[in-house]
Amino acid sequence: MSTQDEKERLELLQGTLDLLILRTLIFGPQHGQGVARAIQQTSEDELLVEHGALYPALQRLETRGWIAAEWGTSDNNRRARFYTLTKAGRRQLVAETTKWRRLAAAIGRVLGPDAEEG
Amino acid sequence: MFGRKRATHDFKAEIEAHVQIEIDRLREQGLPEDQARMAALRTFGNRTGAEERFYESGRSLWWDSMVHNLRFGLRTLARTPGSTAVAIITLALGIGANTAIFTLLNTVLLQNLPVRDPSQLVLFGKGRWVGSVNSLPADPMQLFSYPFFKEFRRRNEVFSDVAAMDSIMFGTHGRVGDGTELEKIDVELVSGTYFNTLGVNPILGRVLTGSDDRAAGGHPLAVASYAWWTRRMGANPAAVGAKVTIRSTVYTIVGVTPPEFFGATVGQSPDLWIPLAMEKEISPGWNGLDDNLFQSLYIIARRKPGVSMEQASANTNLLFHQIIRAYAGPQPSAKQLAGMAHARIDLTPAATGISHLRLEFSSPLMILMAVVLLVLLIACANVANLLLARAAARQREIAVRMSIGAGRARLVRQLLTESGLLGVAGATLGILVAYAAGRTLLGMAFNPGRPLPVHVAPDAHVLAFTVAVTMGTVLLFGIAPALRATRLELVPALKETRSVIGGPARNRLARGLVIGQVALSLLLLAGAGLFLRSLNNLMNVDTGFEKQNVLLIGVDPGAAGYQEDARLGTMMQRVEQRVSAIPGVRAAAFAFMVFNGGGWTSGVTVPGRPATDHDPSVDHNIVGWQYLDVMRMPIVFGRGLTAGDDAGARRVAVINQTMARQYFPGGSPLGRTFSIGKDAEWQNIEVVGVVKDGKYMQLQEDPMPAAFYPHAQHVAFMGNFVVRYSGSLKTIVPQIRRAFANVDPNVPLGDVTTLSEVIDDAVANRRLVAQLSAVFGGLAAFLACIGIYGVMSYGVARRTNELGVRMALGAARHAVLWMVLGEALRLLLIGVAIGLALAVAAGRLMQSLLFGSKAFDPLAIGAATLMMAVVALCAGFLPARRATRIDPMVALRYE
Repeated sequence: MSTQDEKERLELLQGTLDLLILRTLIFGPQHGQGVARAIQQTSEDELLVEHGALYPALQRLETRGWIAAEWGTSDNNRRARFYTLTKAGRRQLVAETTKWRRLAAAIGRVLGPDAEEG
Repeated sequence: MFGRKRATHDFKAEIEAHVQIEIDRLREQGLPEDQARMAALRTFGNRTGAEERFYESGRSLWWDSMVHNLRFGLRTLARTPGSTAVAIITLALGIGANTAIFTLLNTVLLQNLPVRDPSQLVLFGKGRWVGSVNSLPADPMQLFSYPFFKEFRRRNEVFSDVAAMDSIMFGTHGRVGDGTELEKIDVELVSGTYFNTLGVNPILGRVLTGSDDRAAGGHPLAVASYAWWTRRMGANPAAVGAKVTIRSTVYTIVGVTPPEFFGATVGQSPDLWIPLAMEKEISPGWNGLDDNLFQSLYIIARRKPGVSMEQASANTNLLFHQIIRAYAGPQPSAKQLAGMAHARIDLTPAATGISHLRLEFSSPLMILMAVVLLVLLIACANVANLLLARAAARQREIAVRMSIGAGRARLVRQLLTESGLLGVAGATLGILVAYAAGRTLLGMAFNPGRPLPVHVAPDAHVLAFTVAVTMGTVLLFGIAPALRATRLELVPALKETRSVIGGPARNRLARGLVIGQVALSLLLLAGAGLFLRSLNNLMNVDTGFEKQNVLLIGVDPGAAGYQEDARLGTMMQRVEQRVSAIPGVRAAAFAFMVFNGGGWTSGVTVPGRPATDHDPSVDHNIVGWQYLDVMRMPIVFGRGLTAGDDAGARRVAVINQTMARQYFPGGSPLGRTFSIGKDAEWQNIEVVGVVKDGKYMQLQEDPMPAAFYPHAQHVAFMGNFVVRYSGSLKTIVPQIRRAFANVDPNVPLGDVTTLSEVIDDAVANRRLVAQLSAVFGGLAAFLACIGIYGVMSYGVARRTNELGVRMALGAARHAVLWMVLGEALRLLLIGVAIGLALAVAAGRLMQSLLFGSKAFDPLAIGAATLMMAVVALCAGFLPARRATRIDPMVALRYE
């Protein structure tokens, strides 16, 4: 296996949470806790977001300019930091989603129908 | 690196908000407040962890990473104790040598006087000890007369005050309080304005003032130095008011100076300061107080605030010429006028005081400083090489760290931290080395056994210097390896177990370093060779006398109440008789001057020979009649001095060959006469013998005319007593003391030395340079040897595989040996070629410091080259032999 592939795979694994965050924010601004809950609910509790990892990830995405943040007021009048998807973030989401789908399909094909038992 | 967009508290607030929102949600579901909080926190997980990660992602805090780097560095260094120790010791030697020499340089050349605002002080002239006692100024001035000083001080406008002090310190003898014993007291005669000009305040009593220096002989006062006050007075405050009797004058002590003050002359430490007005009482032979041309004083002045050096200089010289014009009388000759036009006063900043040591040692110390800096450079090259090898061994570690995301800057910082640790350890050890070496160095520079004339202690200058040198060193040896180590291609480095960065690039750098080391070491060795040769030439110069087995004793008849009259002459003759009668004493004589003790020179007039402008001065000496025998100065023709040349006989002189040639050309000088000046005592002196030329004041002087006169015909105070002896000094010296005591127990005897010691002293500065440069040259060669060894053995280790293959294919052992050794030889040859070019260039620069040898001295350079070659080949031979012992089978499996 070449180094090029190695790097991409590493990035993909690391980027999974990022992808999910971007996806969640497509429905509008949301604060950290909201993002975590949304991921948990949409994945039907299959995915449990480690909150300790969530905020560094949000921070990372913000630094890259894919999301923007500002302080606002939550539904029950709590001050919270709300994140919005930027234009660049939207483009990134499309790219990453395509990539992820291709990869998932490829892996699925390799593993084959009986993979789960194997 | 330090900037970030979000503050930490902002992030904390966000997490706090998150937890609150979670709590709200859980409470909506019906949980009680406290349970909701606990659940929320539990779900969130490691909150501190998140905060920490935020903290790290936001910035790399230099302090954190430094602490981390330090810890990591220490661990890494501790893992390879051997090479770490070599690096630290190498650095310690380099930094230590630099600190030691700089401490010396600082003490002798740089330290300011402990006085108020030293930068405002100026010295008239350059502090050289050259002055005339009877002629009008004709050269840049160094010493001045008392009347000149007084008039200058009165009329000057640019200095807030002006001070004068005698250019020599008087080693007199006196009685303290009611004591009966004569003890040695070093007196410095100073103007009343001295302390005020320097800005020195007493710690007890008062210092001298301008009014303490008005009437000749009228101010029997003394200021005591702190050292004398504690040593002699037990630091008793009642010392103020105490009496000290010197000759027949009783002086009252009025005050004590602070401990750090030793006077304005570095390297001297007077016991008492006494007003110049008392000059006649301290030194009866001197007529300095009212003679316009008796120029024997240093002048130091303090510039008024706002007066620049240029203004001060212009003003000083204007006033100087006005004053000396008046000294020339109404009708100065054309020669006098031309001379005075040449005369001037060069103002020198005097913040560091006057220092004969400085004149004598400044260029030697500068040379040594350059030498130790080169040694440090060589040491740096070694450590850099060591770090390169270490980095090569660690390339996998570095590759792994880079591949998991460590930035290059971070790794360079990490590697530099390790270098810094090495540097700090080396500097710490180096300061200890310097401290230990400091006293040894001083012992080499100055005569052992005598108290050191300077106070050597590391101060802020030295500390700053060492810190700067260490930092420079760390950067020098650390940067290149660190950059080299982190510039690697990850994949091959990760894949392969053996060196990639240790490849051609590393080798080029390492070899360049070794070539540099060889070149610099050769330069240092060749320089040391030149210095040793000139020292040797100087020590073997024909002195015209035999320096072995001659004792020199300081005497002070004036202190015992003698005047310059017949009683003094009788005493001296009786002492000479008694001492020569001691078994083991071959000859004994008083002498006005001895070798390295200065000289009394003047022109002479010979009847029938017209005087010319370039008549050389004659070095006159008044001596006991056995003096030429004591010195073993051979008589060439005529006779030497005899006991018969006494006051009643015709005045005679023995002259040297140069004087005979210069003043009595063509025919024998015997029976001819000459005169000195107008004094009746010195007219019509008959030449009775010619003595071989010799050295009279210093070893490197050119042959000069000289004449010796018997003291029986010229009564004068003589401070020296010389004895040619055989056998042991331990038995002779007490017998000489007894002989003196038998004649007059009151005559105090001073230092007892030997002529060879005096000669050693006279070349102390050259010996310091020669010996130290030899030591440092050897050190440099040793370091270069380690460097070559390191590079060669690393090369062999790296090529184990290749060498194994070669041997498996049938290469002979000696071929392998030569292959490896040839490499060392090539480095050596290039290094030597560069080194030789450097050595010849440096030799030219140092020509003025050499004696009797040329800049290109084949012997010195040849010896240096040979030594370097031997060292380099030895260093290369061990790894080469190891290469031949490689077992092909083991080598092939070496991966």
